[in-house]
Amino acid sequence: MSVAPLNTIADGYRRVASLGNPILDLSPITLLLSIILVIVVAVVGSGWVAPVVVSVVFVGIAYLAGRGTRYLVNILKLWLVVGLLLFVLRALLVKGETVLIPLGPIAVTAEGVDEGLRFSTMVMAICGGVTLFFALVPMRHLTLALERLGVSPRASFVVLASFQSITDLGATARVVLDAQKARGIETEGNVFVRAKAFFPILAPVFLTALAATEERAIALDARAFNSRGPKTSLIQLRPTPAWEWIIVAVCALVAATAIYGGVVGWL
Amino acid sequence: MALATLRDVRFTYENADQPALNGVTLELEPGLVHGIIGLNASGKTTLCGLLRGLIPHFHSGELTGEVVVLGKSLLDWDPAELSRTIGCVFDNPFTQISGIRDTVFEEIGFGLENLGVPREQIIDRVSAVIEELGIAAIAEKNPNELSGGQRQKVAFASIIAMDADVMIIDEPTSQLDPEASEAVFEIIAQLKARGKSIVLVEHKIDLLAEFADTITVLYEGVVARTGPTRDVLGEPGLEAFGVRPPEVSEFAWRLAAAGKPLPFFPVTRAEAARAVSQRIEEVSRGDRTA
Amino acid sequence: MASSGKFASLMRSYGRLTIFLIPIGVAVNFVGGQIALLLKLPIYLDSIGTILVGAICGGLPGALVGLLSNAINSITSPPTFGFAILNIAFGLLAGYFGRLGFFRVWWKALLTSIPFAFIGGFFGALITIWIFGGLAVGGGAIVVGALTAMGMDLSTANFVAQIPMDILDKVPTVLIVYLIIKGIPKRLLVKLPLGWVYLGKPNPRAARPAEASAPIA
Repeated sequence: MSVAPLNTIADGYRRVASLGNPILDLSPITLLLSIILVIVVAVVGSGWVAPVVVSVVFVGIAYLAGRGTRYLVNILKLWLVVGLLLFVLRALLVKGETVLIPLGPIAVTAEGVDEGLRFSTMVMAICGGVTLFFALVPMRHLTLALERLGVSPRASFVVLASFQSITDLGATARVVLDAQKARGIETEGNVFVRAKAFFPILAPVFLTALAATEERAIALDARAFNSRGPKTSLIQLRPTPAWEWIIVAVCALVAATAIYGGVVGWL
Repeated sequence: MALATLRDVRFTYENADQPALNGVTLELEPGLVHGIIGLNASGKTTLCGLLRGLIPHFHSGELTGEVVVLGKSLLDWDPAELSRTIGCVFDNPFTQISGIRDTVFEEIGFGLENLGVPREQIIDRVSAVIEELGIAAIAEKNPNELSGGQRQKVAFASIIAMDADVMIIDEPTSQLDPEASEAVFEIIAQLKARGKSIVLVEHKIDLLAEFADTITVLYEGVVARTGPTRDVLGEPGLEAFGVRPPEVSEFAWRLAAAGKPLPFFPVTRAEAARAVSQRIEEVSRGDRTA
Repeated sequence: MASSGKFASLMRSYGRLTIFLIPIGVAVNFVGGQIALLLKLPIYLDSIGTILVGAICGGLPGALVGLLSNAINSITSPPTFGFAILNIAFGLLAGYFGRLGFFRVWWKALLTSIPFAFIGGFFGALITIWIFGGLAVGGGAIVVGALTAMGMDLSTANFVAQIPMDILDKVPTVLIVYLIIKGIPKRLLVKLPLGWVYLGKPNPRAARPAEASAPIA
């Protein structure tokens, strides 16, 4: 794998950050608003058609953005784990008059099926929107966009550092696990034996992280982390063009129509 | 203006039984590399913390005595300004990476971003530092996936990019393998060539002998020896303070004790080689008997 | 200037370490959960970080740890976000109990498991009923479903399923928090906002009543 020459890398920062796709380059804020408004369409009304349509639209957007396959895999997993359970439980347990399949003390009722379809598709549409947002927007760009709106850089630090710490402490846990196993701590056996292994693994993970935290605080202080002046950023997000706001307005219009339709009874 | 002046400084960490610094009097001149050496818990890191203003703002405790840094009394310094004026590199490569930047380039620029330096300048300064330290090959890598030696280089780069005139470097090679240590010392040599004032805490006496202009030996919270490198290392009795003299110096003393002193006292291997070849020449010229 | 904003000043008032401990707390929540899964334990143990940070740094940092952990989990499982308020409550409570010294003694720590389990179990069930109509996701939902199938009323089934589960989870959690705090070296306790509690010192803020009530000249 060849390494880009330094000038190319440096020039990259002179330009506005771009992920190479018009959808991926949308401002995180306008994308967020648009997705929320589309979710509104799925939530108002009482049927299962609108949520399914919205879910499909989300898949379409993911493909347009070039993230289709991974998005589809994730969302199908969610449908299976979350959506299916929501549906099945309601189908079986909601009391209704029209019994479709009697199963002893419980029965699959038409009302249950209806409610199951409605609730699970609605929740899945929301899940679809959330998953889509995080599939399209890198966390770094999201925090930058929020900082542009005035959110404190310390808040973005806390968010970004959390993700990194999860990775770091996870790695430490694996090392500690091996070390403790070598010392004779049992991780197999009955539940009490396994439970006793928990503390000897977690405690060193936290305590070493705590000691490192002191050093990290000092090291970051040396990088002017505690300075109070205004901060600049190497990465520059594209200033949001007007047409993105038009997209948001269109979504708002669609959402308003849907709300009206829901109230009036179309959906 | 002296880099730092300490007069009878005593400091005890909160909750500690013993003082960490027990009457330290020291004067450090600017533009030199000052080596600090001593046993663990002899006060080296406390001294660094003091010069940096971590004491008393971050580490609480009892501080007495006079501390003047760059002409201003320590307590008159604004802590944020002092930490901007003095760059620091520590021994643990894993705690000096911010963890919130995705490329080495951005990581090095992090300090400059915090200082509000305009983007163009950041790009120029970071590029310059990357070239200077020869780390262009890892400029696009994720800092969280680098090895210890690579991280330490990035840590140096990050501080150098902030262009402080004073640097405190606390045992930068203690967690690195010999190859990575060499690389770090090359960086320190470059900094020295640029005229930075450096306070360097190290265990590796041979490296200190090579690079330091002055050496201060700390022992149990007091200054046991201080002065130009050659003088401090030339005086016998360093072992009493837990410091092994450089190998070549021991060699020179043994020769002297055997009645065959070298023409001058070497502290580095290069000097030793010169002294020995000079001596061999003298002998073969017949100036001395073997 | 963003760095002088409200969040920044708030963080500054908690000392220099707190802002770095919040990500650690989040990570402990995740790693704790992962270790529990690895050891195939029947409990979640995913709130240890929240309660730990609450106990050593204060309610607000603890609440932030809870909120952030919940939000990160919601990225991959959005329904989780419905329960965010529980995690926030855990953090706030942990700060409250921490300040009162409950985590200094093992049996007092054990006592805190009751309010924690109550919040997690009782309010968890309430949220499940309000937002998810009583049938949410995960293994808990299956238990609730089974109980309902056997004739139990849906709401009752939720409480019956949730509360014991949460007691089983919170009792080890608070004990682990207690033990971990015991293992924190003194020199680090000094730097934590609630460190004075565990060092047995008086509240540094309460030590200046004269200033608070001094007449304005």
